[in-house]
Amino acid sequence: MTLNLCVLTPNRIVWDSEVKEIILSTNSGQIGVLPNHAPIATAVDIGILRIRLNDQWVTMALMGGFARIGNNKITILVNDAEKSSDIDPEEAQQTLEIAEANLSKAEGKRQLIEANLSLRRARTRVEAINMLSQ
Amino acid sequence: MSCSNLTMLVSSKPSLSDASNLSFRSVLNPFQLPSQNSPSCSLSRSSVTPVQCGLRELRTRIESVKNTQKITEAMKLVAAAKVRRAQEAVVNGRPFSETLVEVLYNINEQLQTEDIDVPLTKVRPVKKVALVVCTGDRGLCGGFNNNIIKKAEARIAELKDLGLDYTIISVGKKGNSYFLRRPYIPVDRFLEGGSLPTAKEAQAIADDAFSLFISEEVDKVELLYTKFVSLVKSDPVIHTLLPLSPKGEICDINGNCVDAADDEFFRLTTKEGKLTVERDAVRTKTEDYSAILEFEQDPVQILDALLPLYLNSQVLRALQESLASELAARMSAMSSATDNAVELKKNLSIVYNRERQAKITGEILEIVAGANALQ
Repeated sequence: MTLNLCVLTPNRIVWDSEVKEIILSTNSGQIGVLPNHAPIATAVDIGILRIRLNDQWVTMALMGGFARIGNNKITILVNDAEKSSDIDPEEAQQTLEIAEANLSKAEGKRQLIEANLSLRRARTRVEAINMLSQ
Repeated sequence: MSCSNLTMLVSSKPSLSDASNLSFRSVLNPFQLPSQNSPSCSLSRSSVTPVQCGLRELRTRIESVKNTQKITEAMKLVAAAKVRRAQEAVVNGRPFSETLVEVLYNINEQLQTEDIDVPLTKVRPVKKVALVVCTGDRGLCGGFNNNIIKKAEARIAELKDLGLDYTIISVGKKGNSYFLRRPYIPVDRFLEGGSLPTAKEAQAIADDAFSLFISEEVDKVELLYTKFVSLVKSDPVIHTLLPLSPKGEICDINGNCVDAADDEFFRLTTKEGKLTVERDAVRTKTEDYSAILEFEQDPVQILDALLPLYLNSQVLRALQESLASELAARMSAMSSATDNAVELKKNLSIVYNRERQAKITGEILEIVAGANALQ
């Protein structure tokens, strides 16, 4: 029994095939999903999605969204998703440094919110690459 | 383009009776100093066309019109190819928005009785409005950018009349340059659109709107873009982006709300050999959820995660429609430019040929007269 995983972003379908297991980061912690999981709906935090295909793990950075787990069918709707193989390590590191600099410069509630969001995203991307190399 | 100041009337029936006069004129022409950008050098489209150029100048002019025609035709074909790509982008975004709408509906059904308190749906008394203006990056697209900017100015005037404060988020180089030249209009941020709107750009705009709204700097965010009606018609419309209605309705400023499930998608097809656009009103089937579906978190938290997704997809859709309208406007502008170039070339060729023939006739007459005089 395999799970069917669909990762959708507003402008394309990032992943649409069968997997053995996934580990998802939600607002309330990480959850692992195996075949025949109980149907749940959950919000997805800005974090890492790990997919297992035949003892091989693929990492993907997700930028927040929603996940619905049904009869062996998982649908994940996110703002943006990037496979760790598609992320350039140096560029991700640079983006992280810029985001950190912006956060320390941020003034006012609004800039803080924005800076926080971009920092979390940059951090997720860097983590995705680091996890791949493990 | 250099033209001499000498006017030569080209009538439909060329009169060769005054041959000596014509030869005199054609000799004079090369010695006339060409005037730069003379406003009198015009070619009006009537049966009597005054042309003020000599033979050589006419030839260069015909060449340049031919080149211009090639360019405009190429631009039209490029725009047509890009409309197809834009359409594909819309189709690719469909699975996302369909699933999103489905989930939104189901959650709302379950939350009917509860009091929802999601910050993005909070309706506050409006003191300041943010207006997101989507323009294009390049010109040569007819009235497209102008229409949007006029609509933006009209809306600004309305808001001023209502006594509300406003700020602009400008997307696209044309809008950016317009607002940069007018420092009296408060602009929050200038953003560049790409050639094809991606989720990242939509996210940047959505982030901006999100932070403005949540930090309570503005109380309403409106989205101004061109709706793609058909290949020759596009309408600038204003939609309220924030506050979102929990049911996922898209509201006009006049309060006309469209249910998110009744979304329209446009398709570029051919009908009787011509490119047309068909809009399909797709009603996504909202199937009943399995009742045992549990929410891992609070339904409110889930809504909190869903509504920014919806915001993003709304912004992306607006950007895609704007792009499609811009491409369609460019297509029709370049098509009429090509037609004009063809007509201009035809007129110029007629004039050129007449003048060339007149010159030849004059030379023949000179030779004959000279030969006669020798006898």
